Amino acid sequence: MRDVAVVSYAQTPFVRSERARNEVEMLMPVIDEVVEKSGIERRKIGFTCSGSTDYLAGQSFSFVMAVDAVGAWPPICESHVEMDGAWALYEAWVKIQCGEVDSALVFSFGRSSMGETAETMTLQTDPYTLAPLGPDAISMAALQARAGLDRGLWSEREMAEVAVRSRRDALRNPEAQLKGEFDVDEILAEPYLVSPLRKHDCPPVSDGAAAAVIAAADVARQACEKPVWIRGIEHRLDSHQPGSRDLTLSPSTKAAGEAAGASSGRLDIAELHAPFSHQEIILKQALGLSDSVKINPSGGALAANPILTAGLARIGEASRQIVAGNGRRALAHATSGPCLQQNLVCILEGD
Amino acid sequence: MAEHAAVIGIGQTKYDAKRIDVSQFGLIREAATRALEDAELGWKDIDAVVIGKAPDMFEGTMMPELFLAEALGCVGKPMLRVHTAGSVGGSTAIVAASLVQAGIHQRVLTVSYEKQSESNAMWALSIKMPFAPTMVAGAGGFFAPLIRGYIQRSGAPDDTGIRVALKDRLNALKNPYAHLKLPDVDFDMIANSPMLWDPIRYLETCPSSDGACAMVIGDEKQARRAAKPAAWIHATNMKTEPTMFAGRDQVMPRAGLECSAELYKKAGISDPRSEIDCAEIYVPFSWFEAMWMENLHFAPLNEGWKMTYEGATALGGDLPVNMSGGVLSSNAIGASGMIRFAEAAMQVRGQAGEHQVDGARRSLGHAYGGGSQYFSMWIVGDQPLA
Amino acid sequence: MLAAKHAYPRRWPESTKRGTGPDKILPPPVADSSLLSQQGVVIMAEFPISFTLEYPYTRTLGPVIGPFLTALRDGRILGIRCGDRVLCPPMEFDPDTGETLRPDLVEVGPSGTVENWTWVAEPSRKHPFQEPFAFAQVKLDGADTTMTHAVKAVGQAAMSTGMRVRAQFREERTGSIGDVYFVPEDDARDQSIAPGEGEVEISTHLISLTYDDTLYPHAARYAQGLLDGKFIGQRISGDKIAIPGKGYDALARVMLTEADDVELATTGTVLSYTVLTPVKYRGQTETEPYLSATIILDGAGQSLTQQDIRNIPLDEFRVGMRLRAIFKPAAERRVDDVDNDWMYPSIGDVVERWEPTGEPDVALDELPESM
Repeated sequence: MRDVAVVSYAQTPFVRSERARNEVEMLMPVIDEVVEKSGIERRKIGFTCSGSTDYLAGQSFSFVMAVDAVGAWPPICESHVEMDGAWALYEAWVKIQCGEVDSALVFSFGRSSMGETAETMTLQTDPYTLAPLGPDAISMAALQARAGLDRGLWSEREMAEVAVRSRRDALRNPEAQLKGEFDVDEILAEPYLVSPLRKHDCPPVSDGAAAAVIAAADVARQACEKPVWIRGIEHRLDSHQPGSRDLTLSPSTKAAGEAAGASSGRLDIAELHAPFSHQEIILKQALGLSDSVKINPSGGALAANPILTAGLARIGEASRQIVAGNGRRALAHATSGPCLQQNLVCILEGD
Repeated sequence: MAEHAAVIGIGQTKYDAKRIDVSQFGLIREAATRALEDAELGWKDIDAVVIGKAPDMFEGTMMPELFLAEALGCVGKPMLRVHTAGSVGGSTAIVAASLVQAGIHQRVLTVSYEKQSESNAMWALSIKMPFAPTMVAGAGGFFAPLIRGYIQRSGAPDDTGIRVALKDRLNALKNPYAHLKLPDVDFDMIANSPMLWDPIRYLETCPSSDGACAMVIGDEKQARRAAKPAAWIHATNMKTEPTMFAGRDQVMPRAGLECSAELYKKAGISDPRSEIDCAEIYVPFSWFEAMWMENLHFAPLNEGWKMTYEGATALGGDLPVNMSGGVLSSNAIGASGMIRFAEAAMQVRGQAGEHQVDGARRSLGHAYGGGSQYFSMWIVGDQPLA
Repeated sequence: MLAAKHAYPRRWPESTKRGTGPDKILPPPVADSSLLSQQGVVIMAEFPISFTLEYPYTRTLGPVIGPFLTALRDGRILGIRCGDRVLCPPMEFDPDTGETLRPDLVEVGPSGTVENWTWVAEPSRKHPFQEPFAFAQVKLDGADTTMTHAVKAVGQAAMSTGMRVRAQFREERTGSIGDVYFVPEDDARDQSIAPGEGEVEISTHLISLTYDDTLYPHAARYAQGLLDGKFIGQRISGDKIAIPGKGYDALARVMLTEADDVELATTGTVLSYTVLTPVKYRGQTETEPYLSATIILDGAGQSLTQQDIRNIPLDEFRVGMRLRAIFKPAAERRVDDVDNDWMYPSIGDVVERWEPTGEPDVALDELPESM
């Protein structure tokens, strides 16, 4: 395997609504910034891969517009996954492993503010036995939360503590959306939104775009002062039918973490893509993270959850932490699908 | 650095306007199980799955690969979902190949599909948004002016498109999986079919199909071990350009010209017309065969139509094109690109039955999408590239 | 005049921040309030517009889901044998191994046990009930897996893990998963269900999603131009003029501003055309063949596509022909069809027709290749 590093990362501030900027206008400054920071000339970046979904934009082929933001003239070698940008990064990493290219631009984007996001996500569920019932993203997550509560695996207080810590940490992240000091007892006194989830257990609706440049070792070293090495990147999928799996566990996260080498060295930081508070607890357990690992210094997905960008943002935030010297080895995680169905784990290291 | 990769199993569904007998599960499994059987492998032998399809709004399912997890034996495995407009079937195969070429996996299953009958492609492509122009004409209305532009430039005879359609429709009669089969087809039947989007006649267009196509891509060890011949992947390439900008030539897109030129270079091909034995390319409207012959450097600019006219692209010609009957005969949009790639592989495996090109040793698979702006291609051969 | 989809502009949250890139690519300033459309004045950027994606999808069901939904319509619930287990809802294959299952369907329920649940206090219009209800994972008697479905109970307090529930069937059943729901066993009533006719082979799922977008400044200026009887393009790199402008230059990758706007001529040349014979599909309103032309305005670097031509006879229409846009009277111009759209230039419903100018045709070899 070739050594590959994240050489730069940039994102829009994640916000409730971008209002007057379309996807291209959101992306252009982000792509300019990430390319400039990478130290690699734009035309020398060999591959471009993006992640997005038509259902956020409400338009077939919505990703085609993003080509304008990249600058695809003369034509470029480019691909797109209908997945979170973290998987776009995976495809780009594979391309570099093939030896065909030495560097790649990866990005993802979406405006959840345009649609009825929680209900749009019902279309991710089985179209024969689930989707017609309208099992929205919050209800599905609520089932998962209850399963753990019933078995005493976590408490509503522990869930609230995750939410409070995340939004407190987000105060130090200028690009986070939902931040502030909250009191556990006060938020526990609030009514349920979809029991056992309260509003604070759920992610905000966010618009955002993010981009990263990754490069093989020789290019990365030349271009960049502090490359962040991808020591392992793996992803796995669990069953879709809620009745076919134990919702309190995430075997796919566990398998991806093991394959990526999560346990082969001391981790300082973990950026976990846990849109709902209890999911952080599931992920922490699946990955065997000890209490010494700082979790989601960015505030995580509870502070901003741009759909299909939040996963790539975890890789970006983890690499930022390493560049800033806040740790040497970090784990970044991305998820997709109802109840953490699909998971990706990326192990990052500074020099 | 890259490892060898080869197609070691191919499976297709019967393509049809409405596959009322199957669910989406059944549709993709029909292709996937056939590919596994062809490769003499079981579900457990597969390391990873790469799925491709065109817009999710065709089926009204968002990221359907998630609910298809169990159906494709993906539980506990890596799964990727590709979407690059009409070229997606090709791009999906390329991503699957890259997982093997990178040395990450030994056996990758790749599947692409479209169940267009769940909605209506014309609807999905013509979604009316306020302040947005409706593509009332569907894809044909978009492409017809480009074809007229080509005719204008090249001086191609008016019946070029009819000749392409006739050839493809005759080829389809030899393909058991093809959707649209017209046993009595002849020149007059096509010439007399209604003019839908002048100069495109009804029988010069593609149908809307349900269908899936799957391939198993293996590494060198798998390919050498396999009982059946493998189609060795010599080169792959993808290229994209923006949709619409002042000065863009949509008739002869630069992305296609560059994509194929680079592809040939990677495959060590200097004269594609003589070194490639057959080509399965994405021709949704008959005239595109002539245009793509030029875009793929098989013919000089403005002379692509001559290849059709002279019979070069017919099954017995010097460069047979669309031996399967092409997109004109089966068009499950998300799968259409992969069907082209699979046909190219079938030819060099000697697997194509009645539409086999004798002695095919090296073939091209081609797909394009969007407003003629996304291209994906591969070259496969009966021996690994030295 | 712009058609308002909302009676009042929706309020957006305060202080939406913009990106942090270099100045040249920041978006242009946005009007800070929602201006109104009056007497042909275009509403500015903050005006929210909405659209709905709606389609009744028809799902073919295959050998397992088909009988399952047929049985639901007929008041019974089926599972499928998978080794020693019974899966409900049934699947066509073993979820663990991927192997195809024989369609050996067995009746389960109608009662079962709630293994997990959540209380939906504020249902949406997509939910099975419009009053508070529970989503639950129900393990039906005789099944080994749970079915995720809806439970109608008097309140959250009536729900608990381990409670017994029983299936109830709707009065109107269509062969859909929504034909059934569950109630606490004590609330259940006996039903006599008359079986329907034939097998359910297709299940219909109406999907309807509403989206909001805003009209961006460059699009608003373009639309205003149309209302004023002008074509406004934007100058981009290579001294070309894009119409409509996108608000940015995709090639040079810079944002454009009002200063880049250029008024184009109302005359142009036919680059290409097609004659459309309408085919039927949902939403199609055309019935007769008509001309659709690609026209490049004088000075423009990009053509207007899909311009309907209904006033020039087919046999007189040709590539190279010179045309002039005749705008409708000011009071009748509408710009509903103009938007932020990135792909297909539109001129809205402001041009009444394209009239031949009477000038000689442009020679074919002098036509720009940009189309």
